Amino acid sequence: MGFPYETADWAVVDGAMFVGWGSAMPGLYTLLAVIACAAVLIFGQRTEVTKTAAYDKR
Amino acid sequence: MEEQIAELTAQVAALQQGGGTTNTMFAETFYYLTIPLMILIHAGFLAYEMGASRLKNVLSSGVKNLLAFAFVIPTFYFFGWWVYWGFPTGLGLSAGPAGISGAEYANSIAWAWGDSAQYMGPNISDQISGVFFGAFALFAATTASIMSGAVIERIQTVGFVILAIVLGSFAWVVAAAWGWHADGWLVTQWGVHDFGAAGLVHAVAGFFALGVLINLGPRIGKFNADGTANHLAAHNMPMTVVGLMLIIVGFWGFLMACVVPPGEAWSWFADKPATIYGTPINLSALSFNILMAVAGGIIGAWVLTRDPFWMMSGALAGIISCASGLDIYYPALAFLVAFSAGLILKPCADVLERMGIDDAVGAVTVHGTIGLYGVVMLGVFASGYPALQGAEGEVAQISLVGQIVGAAVFFLLGFVPGYVVSFVLKMLGMLRIPEGAELVGMDRVKVPAEGYPEGIPAPAMNLDPAE
Repeated sequence: MGFPYETADWAVVDGAMFVGWGSAMPGLYTLLAVIACAAVLIFGQRTEVTKTAAYDKR
Repeated sequence: MEEQIAELTAQVAALQQGGGTTNTMFAETFYYLTIPLMILIHAGFLAYEMGASRLKNVLSSGVKNLLAFAFVIPTFYFFGWWVYWGFPTGLGLSAGPAGISGAEYANSIAWAWGDSAQYMGPNISDQISGVFFGAFALFAATTASIMSGAVIERIQTVGFVILAIVLGSFAWVVAAAWGWHADGWLVTQWGVHDFGAAGLVHAVAGFFALGVLINLGPRIGKFNADGTANHLAAHNMPMTVVGLMLIIVGFWGFLMACVVPPGEAWSWFADKPATIYGTPINLSALSFNILMAVAGGIIGAWVLTRDPFWMMSGALAGIISCASGLDIYYPALAFLVAFSAGLILKPCADVLERMGIDDAVGAVTVHGTIGLYGVVMLGVFASGYPALQGAEGEVAQISLVGQIVGAAVFFLLGFVPGYVVSFVLKMLGMLRIPEGAELVGMDRVKVPAEGYPEGIPAPAMNLDPAE
């Protein structure tokens, strides 16, 4: 990703300094994290329904 | 007029002195408070390890864990602290560019005798040496606790203590000197960055444990004749899971202790906190990224396991996988890295088990494998960041190659001493308890107390699925 400032020197840093700052990457990372959470919930619900159905008395 | 100026000058001087005293007290208290927080790591490992033991070994596992802490602290005082300051530039023990390393420097501040003893005991004019030493001593004890869980239920007590001393007061300290010090050759020459010690604490301890496990062998009954593994169930899974959560609490102290407060003669900056490398950081960065890493690790582990033991191990793995870059990761990126660590955790542990390694608590995977994974991941995402303060071109930068070199060095600094020292102990008959004692249980053989003298009550709830 690279250092988010033109000069690779900490002396020029006076604010945000995280990986991807100043590019579209933070938004992309956030989107991917949201998708991961949603996908896990969908997968989790499906598999749990399958497991619990085995114990359904009806 | 002159009187007023003199009065104002005196007031300014008094204010400056007051501010300086407050800052010094803050800096001292900052490190002091990390120590009890890190002791929670040991409370956690104690509960984790005792819970993971079978009923017949629960107290002996606790004895072993307590002794690891008790022996690493004084040995780190005797020589571990010297190793950290003496070794950064390599085995030559020469001084580095920052002027805070080498045999001469270590001799002046880290021996408990002669002139340097003034920095190794109560000294009213030195408000940093004791608390800084204390924080490092707790890092050292953590490494021993990591190894401790892997070897439960069959290791001899004294043999284990010797291994704990080698790991806690030497092996990881060399790794810290090389990769966690502004004069460390891995930092100055390769740009290795491992802010939260994923490699130099976790991977070193995890692979030290692997070296020991190869010589120690599996517990009786762990593997069948055809090589398949049996599950030796923990006697108290809730205790183990709560222990893991306590370790997470302690990690806040561990990572806080990786920060250097500003404004002191020994600080990197007058006005902002720094990492141990002298690069800027603040506690907000840690809060964002630790929380997201814990969450990502738990969720990733839940997907494949649904098991609270592995979920909380996933929380640990989440932090460890991001530890190298907690100062510079973006929180959503930390979440994704931790999520991936949680996902690969159990499959990695299964591979180890298929190789015939009986790691009772998954320490090699959680700390070793994931530690190295974290070191390398930082090289993927943060290449180009300056590893130290200094003008572009004059200091090394973080790179994937550098992080891989660092990971390889950390692996070797853990695995080689773990394997060699445990091999020697095995030859001397000091590694494994006799078969008969293992079958009876180490508590009955070695501990004059019972973990549950009145037994454990049977569950009252109905577990029959047919009703």
